[in-house]
Amino acid sequence: MEWSNRKTATALVGEGTGRVDEASWELFLAEINAAIVEAAALDLPLVIDLKGIDYMSSRGLRVLTLAKRAADAASVGLTLARPNERMTEILAISRYDKIFTVTKGLEG
Amino acid sequence: MRVRFWGTRGSLPVATKAAAVRRKVAKALMLANGRQFIDEAGALAFVDSDLDFATGNTYGGATSCVEIEGGDGSFIVCDMGSGLREFGLSAAARCKAGHKRVYHFFLSHLHWDHIMGFPFFVAAFDPEAVITVHSGHADAETALRRQQEEISFPVPFDWLKAQFRFVTLEPGTTYECAGLKVEVIRQYHAHDSYGFRFDDGKRTVVYSTDSEHRLGDMDHETRFEAFFAGADVAICDTMYSLADSVTMKEDWGHSSNLVAVDLCHAAAAKRLVLFHHEPAYSDEDILRMHNETIRYEELIREDRPLLEIVCAYDGLELDV
Repeated sequence: MEWSNRKTATALVGEGTGRVDEASWELFLAEINAAIVEAAALDLPLVIDLKGIDYMSSRGLRVLTLAKRAADAASVGLTLARPNERMTEILAISRYDKIFTVTKGLEG
Repeated sequence: MRVRFWGTRGSLPVATKAAAVRRKVAKALMLANGRQFIDEAGALAFVDSDLDFATGNTYGGATSCVEIEGGDGSFIVCDMGSGLREFGLSAAARCKAGHKRVYHFFLSHLHWDHIMGFPFFVAAFDPEAVITVHSGHADAETALRRQQEEISFPVPFDWLKAQFRFVTLEPGTTYECAGLKVEVIRQYHAHDSYGFRFDDGKRTVVYSTDSEHRLGDMDHETRFEAFFAGADVAICDTMYSLADSVTMKEDWGHSSNLVAVDLCHAAAAKRLVLFHHEPAYSDEDILRMHNETIRYEELIREDRPLLEIVCAYDGLELDV
């Protein structure tokens, strides 16, 4: 899994690529936590762009929950954007689409 | 080895209500679409081939009780939920036909839904029965005696006729019991729970219910991956969706179907049995959860071998 952040006019966008599973969840957690700190400093919401994420296992999904708690504590809005078909299904099966805002585009 | 599921529901027993049965009948009639059956066997063949499990059957509502047949021919039973009553009746019939009257129970924990079948377990009244209760809890005998007290039940423990023995098991120790190797793991649940790994030298069955895999402690899952390693059958607590297990039901001591799949994949287990079903779930809900779990396994399998996903129901028998 690889990660990069970029700033837009309305949000900090964190982009991951690859898969998030038992081998990569710790890196994913570290990158998201760093992105939350950066978004808080910029006073911007954080959008996690899932376009390049192949899939997440339960470990990746649970990282999203930890990230949501950290974002809430830092008063940073957190949105999931542009999941591929496989990730869309995983978000539905896990019911994570009920506890996260998931958008088709980066702008909501 | 063979595994028989006498009770598969979590928390408390439930029963399929009249309205649900009406819906099943109506759906079956619609799917039959005027078809004629010459006898009951023909109708049952239609049920088996044309109806999904939730329409043609029910998952049942008795609480946890799972029999593992193997070893030296003693009865081996995990938990004493309300399914224990039916197991007891079956065991009595088998004893009448010559089965030895030796019982080994393995209790995951002592919460009510896992011991409530004991007062109705007929072998407890059999003076020729020898019953050993294995548990990670030193207070297992206290729990069973307490629910026989007059305030809860009319027959006190001391009136029971069977010969009882209570054994406290330690995690990390391998035990020889009834011809099986048995290992124990401590699980996260209120007052602790314990999982068991049964190995007859050829096949392995893991029973791991009422076991939460906590959000902030993902490293502890490596212990479970080792405990599940290569299991032919892993019976897992899959009571909640992942989202429920990390939000409103966090710290309730239960787990999700997705975490069970991931643990089994990491452990290279061959078959996952979805178990300890949420009592609020209808048969349709459980069928949907089963299908979704199969799909999730497909979505993340990559180059791993297929993990077979079985959904437990009261009455299911699995050859291992």
